[in-house]
Amino acid sequence: MKKQHLVYLIIGIVATVLFYIFRVEAYESIYSVAGYSDQLYNLGLYDIIPLITIAVAWVMAGIYYYAINSVRFDRWYHWLVMLALVVVLAPVVGYLVNSRIFDENGLTYVAESLTFELVNIMWAAVLFVVASFSMRWWSTNCHHTPIPQ
Amino acid sequence: MRLFLLAIGGTGSRVLKSLLMLSAAGVRPVDEDGRPVPNLEIVPVIIDPHKSNEDLKRTEALLTNYRSIRNRLYGNEVNVDGFFANRIVTLREIMSDSSIQLNDTFIFNLSAVEREKFRDFIGYDTMNEANQALTSLLFADYQLENRMNIGFVGSPNIGSVALNEIKDSNEFKALANVFNAGDRIFFISSIFGGTGAAGFPIMVKNLRQASNLDINNRDVLRRAPIGGITVLPYFNIEHNDDHRIDKADFIVKTQSALYYYKETLTGANDSELNAIFYVGDQEVSKPYVYDPGEFGQRNRAHLIEMVAALAPLKFAGIADSRLTDQNGFPMPTMAFEFGLEKDVRDVDFLAFGPSTRRLIYEPLVRFHLLFLFLRTGLRGMIGQGFTEDAPKLKSDFLTSQFYRTLTDQFMRGYVDWLSEMYDNNRSVQLFNMGENDMSNAIHHVHTRKTLLGRKTVDNNTFKAEMNKLSRDAKYSTHTVEYKLLDLFNRAATTIISDRYENIN
Repeated sequence: MKKQHLVYLIIGIVATVLFYIFRVEAYESIYSVAGYSDQLYNLGLYDIIPLITIAVAWVMAGIYYYAINSVRFDRWYHWLVMLALVVVLAPVVGYLVNSRIFDENGLTYVAESLTFELVNIMWAAVLFVVASFSMRWWSTNCHHTPIPQ
Repeated sequence: MRLFLLAIGGTGSRVLKSLLMLSAAGVRPVDEDGRPVPNLEIVPVIIDPHKSNEDLKRTEALLTNYRSIRNRLYGNEVNVDGFFANRIVTLREIMSDSSIQLNDTFIFNLSAVEREKFRDFIGYDTMNEANQALTSLLFADYQLENRMNIGFVGSPNIGSVALNEIKDSNEFKALANVFNAGDRIFFISSIFGGTGAAGFPIMVKNLRQASNLDINNRDVLRRAPIGGITVLPYFNIEHNDDHRIDKADFIVKTQSALYYYKETLTGANDSELNAIFYVGDQEVSKPYVYDPGEFGQRNRAHLIEMVAALAPLKFAGIADSRLTDQNGFPMPTMAFEFGLEKDVRDVDFLAFGPSTRRLIYEPLVRFHLLFLFLRTGLRGMIGQGFTEDAPKLKSDFLTSQFYRTLTDQFMRGYVDWLSEMYDNNRSVQLFNMGENDMSNAIHHVHTRKTLLGRKTVDNNTFKAEMNKLSRDAKYSTHTVEYKLLDLFNRAATTIISDRYENIN
């Protein structure tokens, strides 16, 4: 069983690394606008925002499974609250970073930035699910959350 | 080692019930070094012609429940720790000789005795005039007319005649056949009534004179380590104009019987018993309904019965070298008494002496917490935490035969037992009756203090501990019943030690 759990962790890490390697394709396959997407690429935001999203997803999963790790918060809806936090936190931080760097460069893409962060919400959710199923197995009280195995 | 436990009369059944409760909690006999006695099987045999006795029926039902719960938990495994640890079997279950017809029950079949009036049993009507006159001197009219299916109604002189037939019964032969060197026999009886007072010395005599009987293992049986607890007067009965049973006779009967026991069982020259335990209480119990037997006789559980139930466990733990000499014959009878550390009318754990507390405190607390947990916690945890680890505990577990037997039947018996002891005098209040809050469940024992107040214990405390244990332990080869009770037992051990004040 532990071996199987280790495999899940490795798969999760590999999937996350692959996401980061193919981050541009991952975002642009869903949302790509001439001008805005070029600026994201040129200003290095395709490096920073996916990194922020990955960090938020994995850190929040870690907090849930190992810091909270409580019998009082071991139901699927508690996990869903964490997911909600992730899909708020990752795009908000992403948007703030995006705005700041665009501002520093005299660029204004408010509508595009907001739409881009909607895409980021989706990836944040996916990454949180991946992180959850990678690391939950060693949690004392929440290793059956959100779906018992 | 097999411990044949012969529980005679109403007191025998009630003490056996207390022993069942202690065994369910995980109280095990320990040797003189404090280690659990290995390979112990308890073979209870209830000897009581009064089959409709409610106390007997309640005990028999609990014995059956206990056996079925334990079989489901541990199968035939003998040496286990935890709830329902002591293996309890029927004579039939361990009998290999198929030529002896025996029912698979814990009750000694006394059908030869219980059908008849005493006068018919002794053939009074066929006696000549002189013998009838002699018989009338020895037995009162109401005793001759006594229907023995209600017991011997406080008349040991009837019982001593009627129970002498036991040696010819299939149960006695079965016991003789399965008895091996190393096994022990223990009697539970009262001294102030009829059935127990008569049955105890007669059965001991029959065992010690086994060499005269046509049975196997005669010699082993003759030298068997035999112990017994003689329960001295401890309860009171309501006044009634029918004087077949009269509390005023209790002390006189006790004195007479003690003299008789001294002459025949425990005296320096006639040590038929290896060990004798005496327990009684001068504190008057709440009066029981006067019932010589016709109305079923259902008496409230009492502290004395719980204390008496510790005697066979103590006996099982005594070293062979203290019971028998080098040739296997009984040493002079060892006598034991029991005293509370505090002579109080409201008895809690702190009223017991240290050795009793060490034996019963933790197991009973664990069992009581299990009772609360099953009643208030488990249902809401299904689908979470440890219940999802293999083997999974699903909601259909709550409707399983095992769970219903444990909670609806055995635990109900446990609550009745606790409530009856609480409602008696002395009042036993080990736990705060009706209290569902685990932090306040143990009477006069609090949870430990911290800087922020006292520690709490609730279902979530258990859930967290069981989650931890379940993650680290592997139960996939065990049944879900075993997993649940073993996890709880281990969690409770940690929680009691970490969160409750230590009274041991």
